[in-house]
Amino acid sequence: MDEATRNLIFKAIDQTIVPAEFDRLQDAIEQDDEVRAEYLRAVTLCESLSEIASEASEPNAIASRPAHDDRTWKAPAACAVGAHWQSLSWSMIGLAATILLTVGGAAFWFGLQKSGTTNVADRGEQSVERNESQIAGHATLRRSVDLKWSAGGNEYRDGDVLTNGRLQFEEGVAEIDFFCGATLIVEGPAALNIESDWSVKVASGRLRANVPPAARGFIVKAAGSEIIDLGTEFALEVKSENARVEVIDGELEIRGGEHDGSHLLTGERQWLKGADTAESFDGLSTIDELKSRQENAASERFAAWQAHAEELRQDDRLIAYFPIAAGQHREPTALAAGGDGGTELHTGPDANAFGSRTVRNVARTGDGLNGKLIGPVEHSSGRFGSKSSGLNFGRPGSRVRTRIDGEYQAFSFACWVRIDGLEHVYNALFMSDGYETGELHWQIRNDGRLMFSVMVDDTQKIRRFSELDQREVETAGLARVYYSDPIWDISKSGQWFHLAAVYDPAGRQVMQYANGKQVGSHEILDKFHIDTLRIGAAEIGNWGQPFRKTPWFSVRNLNGTIDELAIFDAALTSEEITTLFQNGKPLGY
Amino acid sequence: MDHESDREQRYSDTAIQRYSEFVALLARHDQSIRRFVRSLLPSRDGVDDVVQDTALECWNKFSEFQPESLDDSVQEFIRWACIIARYKAMSWQRDKARDRLVFRESVIERLAQAAIDNLDQQELEQSAIESCLGKLHDDQRRLVLSVHSPGESIAAIAEETGEAARRLYSKVNALRKRLLDCVEQRIAAEVGNG
Repeated sequence: MDEATRNLIFKAIDQTIVPAEFDRLQDAIEQDDEVRAEYLRAVTLCESLSEIASEASEPNAIASRPAHDDRTWKAPAACAVGAHWQSLSWSMIGLAATILLTVGGAAFWFGLQKSGTTNVADRGEQSVERNESQIAGHATLRRSVDLKWSAGGNEYRDGDVLTNGRLQFEEGVAEIDFFCGATLIVEGPAALNIESDWSVKVASGRLRANVPPAARGFIVKAAGSEIIDLGTEFALEVKSENARVEVIDGELEIRGGEHDGSHLLTGERQWLKGADTAESFDGLSTIDELKSRQENAASERFAAWQAHAEELRQDDRLIAYFPIAAGQHREPTALAAGGDGGTELHTGPDANAFGSRTVRNVARTGDGLNGKLIGPVEHSSGRFGSKSSGLNFGRPGSRVRTRIDGEYQAFSFACWVRIDGLEHVYNALFMSDGYETGELHWQIRNDGRLMFSVMVDDTQKIRRFSELDQREVETAGLARVYYSDPIWDISKSGQWFHLAAVYDPAGRQVMQYANGKQVGSHEILDKFHIDTLRIGAAEIGNWGQPFRKTPWFSVRNLNGTIDELAIFDAALTSEEITTLFQNGKPLGY
Repeated sequence: MDHESDREQRYSDTAIQRYSEFVALLARHDQSIRRFVRSLLPSRDGVDDVVQDTALECWNKFSEFQPESLDDSVQEFIRWACIIARYKAMSWQRDKARDRLVFRESVIERLAQAAIDNLDQQELEQSAIESCLGKLHDDQRRLVLSVHSPGESIAAIAEETGEAARRLYSKVNALRKRLLDCVEQRIAAEVGNG
């Protein structure tokens, strides 16, 4: 952009432009895409500066400020009158007032807050840079079996941080770790109120509390008394008619109520409320029982998913399917028996001196599309617990490389991923190497938004100055990045997500999903329309840039685990995406 | 008679609901529509009028706005409203063409199309502007914001610092260009990194 044109643009915005210059500018805007884009950006910049400036100034100054006829010269006229009242439209103020009356402001946010509330503070881009992030909570739901949450209350998943407040479920068993170190195993139906790291009130339910030395002093409130654990383990049952406590091992003190001050030792029990019955605490879950129940339930879920996966791999629309969860070092399964007949699922034909470093494509497209583990990819547990496998890409050199040639008419990507953190600006899910025309990038930005993009025309290069290289470099050309609503923040670290992106050139839309729910929907505009799609050399969990001409590479490895990825040459419907989620969801979803 | 009043009641319930929907959509996109209109007019004069005309026209035609689903309506509404705003901006300029400098229609068409194509970049652009502004030194930031502040002006700063106003203005322009370059680069980087 030449200086003269830029000066014209600012003169126009500042209203100091003369008619002859204005005509020149209009011609340039009409004829030159770049001038048009620059003009729009300059207007936006000036408008934003006005808004920022007036936000920073005192509201009272606006009223007292005379009209700008006191300016000594004409230069920045248009920009200079950026008083706040000018940026509000009177029609909007009237309408906005009506909103508050008619819909209480709720509708204002509809569509924005689909995924519920977050308990993370300071999520703005600016404050992230300056402030430490904080999470509100007192405990973690460590694991659960068959939990059925009460209607209308909060619902949590395994691994979730529990904030203060009510926790209520009708059925199932939950293991809750308080931050102080105490652990409760609670059997439903139960209703608790988490008060702090150190205290919980039990309205109803049966539970076993384990209190290690670090958590000595942990208080359980029930039936008008406080039970203060002085070490190790006790059981508690609270019903509407009665409540009792029994020391399994160690000592506790009761405060308040009719037994105020009494101490109980191992084997002793006390009724806090109601009449004695002969019933004992037998049958109360222990951690081992809970663990084995949970493992059994996870195994069932795992088996059910494997059956679905076996069906899915027959889908002719699949470009590639990597059901990593099915196991890296497992016995041959039905799943593994396809393709070249009976090799183990991930240990393909190249299980040689280099070991089993292969992720098998089990779709009909065959072994040629297998992925190769490169760098410090770690084998970890998949979403169905220790029996299932996952691949962790937490270190920068971790990647699974594959090469998928061919041309496609549409893309649907679906994966299960556990995101531990989003430290990098962009965090890779699946990325074509070169980002050439027709190739795609699927990643997550550090603000928790999913990004899906396809390069529309890589010949439209943009030159920019690289601070690292201290010279101009070329960056890729015409593409549009489609962002979803934010789906992740640090409070969701360690949770499994089913993510999907559907790129549909024929239907001219891009849809994005998290756990079966739509989180993004964009139209593909003419300018960004492309109907021949490619993948080429590509990576799961990282970005390879083999064509770069500098030693620097962008760090985009995913700090997390992927245990399933399916790629379709078709635009799956939202029902199909939901089915994929339902068929593959782990325990607690 | 009861049936009739039932029907009236139902009718008015639907109308209220429809109005609430409209108001929510309009409020959500208020700023986008303003920005869009501002980019089609050579100055801020008329922006309020055009935005208001646009809002009324959108309401009058709201029955014609039929998004495919609730999820799409937010996206579709802003495009729909921008097309209405484009016509309103044109007719406003047609009325004013004799008194002042206004864009010709072919220019408005081109700008409108480019602005509509860029609608979903707004958030990106906004965060780029904020972060680029953050890279300036305090005194530079104050200077570039001063021409946009209600309480300050180049003249006041010139008086305070003893620098010539013209010199300050060329400094302001240099800073604005620097900001534009920075914003451009950040957007290019983001697109290139996509």
